Amino acid sequence: MSFSAWLELIASGLITGGIYALVALGLNLQYGLMRILNIAHGEFLMVGAFLTWMVQTSFGLSPLWMIPVSFALLMGLGIAIHWLCFRRLTATSPNLDVFEARGLMVAFGLMFLVQNVISYVWGGDLRGYDFLTQPVQIPLPGGEAQFAANKLLVFALALVFAGALIVLLRQTLLGKGVRALMQSPIGAQLVGIDTKRLHPLMFGIGLGLSGVAGCLLSMAYTISPSMGEPYTVTALIVITLGGFGSMGGALAGGLLLGVIEAVGMHFTNPSLKALLSYVVFISVLLLRPEGLFTRKSRKA
Amino acid sequence: MTSRQFLIRDLLVLFGLTGWAVALPGFASEFAVSMALTCLMYIALSSSWAMFCGTTRYLSLATSAFFGIGAYTSAIGLESLPWEQVIVLGALVAAAVAVVMGAAVLHLRGTYFAVLTFGMTELIRHAISYFEKSVTGTVGRVLMVVPERETIYLTVLLLAVIAVALSIVIRRTRFGLALQGIGADEQRAQTLGVNTRIVKTAGFALTAAIAGAVGAAMSVRWTYIDPHTVFNPFIGFQTVLIALIGGAMTLWGPLIAAIVFSVLAETLRLQVPQLYMMSLGLLLILSVLYLPGGLASLRTDTFKGWKNDIQAWWTDIKDDLSGETKRRKEREKKRREQRHVY
Repeated sequence: MSFSAWLELIASGLITGGIYALVALGLNLQYGLMRILNIAHGEFLMVGAFLTWMVQTSFGLSPLWMIPVSFALLMGLGIAIHWLCFRRLTATSPNLDVFEARGLMVAFGLMFLVQNVISYVWGGDLRGYDFLTQPVQIPLPGGEAQFAANKLLVFALALVFAGALIVLLRQTLLGKGVRALMQSPIGAQLVGIDTKRLHPLMFGIGLGLSGVAGCLLSMAYTISPSMGEPYTVTALIVITLGGFGSMGGALAGGLLLGVIEAVGMHFTNPSLKALLSYVVFISVLLLRPEGLFTRKSRKA
Repeated sequence: MTSRQFLIRDLLVLFGLTGWAVALPGFASEFAVSMALTCLMYIALSSSWAMFCGTTRYLSLATSAFFGIGAYTSAIGLESLPWEQVIVLGALVAAAVAVVMGAAVLHLRGTYFAVLTFGMTELIRHAISYFEKSVTGTVGRVLMVVPERETIYLTVLLLAVIAVALSIVIRRTRFGLALQGIGADEQRAQTLGVNTRIVKTAGFALTAAIAGAVGAAMSVRWTYIDPHTVFNPFIGFQTVLIALIGGAMTLWGPLIAAIVFSVLAETLRLQVPQLYMMSLGLLLILSVLYLPGGLASLRTDTFKGWKNDIQAWWTDIKDDLSGETKRRKEREKKRREQRHVY
């Protein structure tokens, strides 16, 4: 295999990986921060994608306008869900283990609920629309590679969102509070962080990010009510690779997974893709449950 | 009642239910029998799930893996082996897989365990579909030699009875106590001399054996199986949901919930399939939030508690709307200020 073919392969892997990282950001915030393993993450992503599709096809609005709209809508939904379900769960659970198990069950319920509401309203068909489908030539050393413009756009926006979130968490006071909450919820309360306000807000932002991811994905891929579950699994794999709660880790993990899949698929065969990602997932969970990129081991 | 009387009561109830279920094909319609078959399948699956996962609080999502393994064993072995041996073989293969899987994952707890078992289920499903596609050259398998419908029904009934009887008996043995000890506090159980590794692996294998046997028995009902039907993660999810909604720590909870769900499924699924899934999700959320002990823990006190909660909530809303909360706060503030003055 020539050098340029290698480069093209890795570039296509990186583009898919950027999308994976984007999908994982919201779940990472929710699980890393609040120990809510939101298994319904992919379903909310699907809601974002359907909202975008609906607005695009019925009003002809550019999907780019829907990025802030779906963020705001899903953030509101997230705050409402937190207020309805997880507030009571936090109050009644005796310890963190029980809270995690119950939160997982509530998320399962949400998954069934959301997925079927959407398929009841819009039906189970595959849908999609055309947006920036023309190919773009990218000069690589030793040749040229072609990628669809919408995938490149999604990749760029994924990097922007991941970068923005990392800056938000590192540089601002809000981010400092959030990181404190990740390290120790009780300690954070003791130094005067209002966890009762921060928790719903962060859950909402997590859902909002999944809405953004759905909005972006609908530009490049076809959508259907059952699209959520594979993305949830991908998001889980990515945050395990990167280490729970680490945004930089999620970005690196997503890119790595994309490259692994692209290279693996090239050398074996495309129907092994799902098998490959599960093998990566299970081996990381078994061998390095704290993530590939974390230096200190955290208590699992 | 003493513990012995409880044992006798439980066995008598089981005996009565069994007798009724044996008589069912004699008088009920074909539709009712097929509904009862689904119901029995979920009773066996969720009772055996609750036996290990409920008492130890290890949330396993691997039921569909064992179910599928059993189904495939039966699909391969049915032509050369008699029916009973096929079922036993399905149970053994599933248990063997569970021992291997358990050795790898049973040292992890909580969400890690749940996610890992789910990942392994999907891994097995994808591995088998890849194997079938590339080596066998087909996607699914057609089962040619199928036993009588009566035989299938009685086999699944037998498995359900075994599952419930096992959970009645096991909670009275040292093994059952060890499982409960692990659920309450694993380190303490270890300190008190329980070999947790062996106990956990044995419990996991037992659950898997029943799920495998059920899979082997149920596969012939479909006559055509492929990895997506028998390894359907939904089988695993629904087992867990039934056990949790019924009450994973209780004996009869999974059975009650399995009956409720089968009736709900058959009546709703035909008209509006989405509505069934929606109500499943909603019921799960409500039961986790308001009835964490499950349906079987429902007592008159539970209703009283709910009534008090609703009353308190209603007074809160009334106070808020009439401005009473605001006035109360003002009064308290004034009182505080007065205290500061003197």
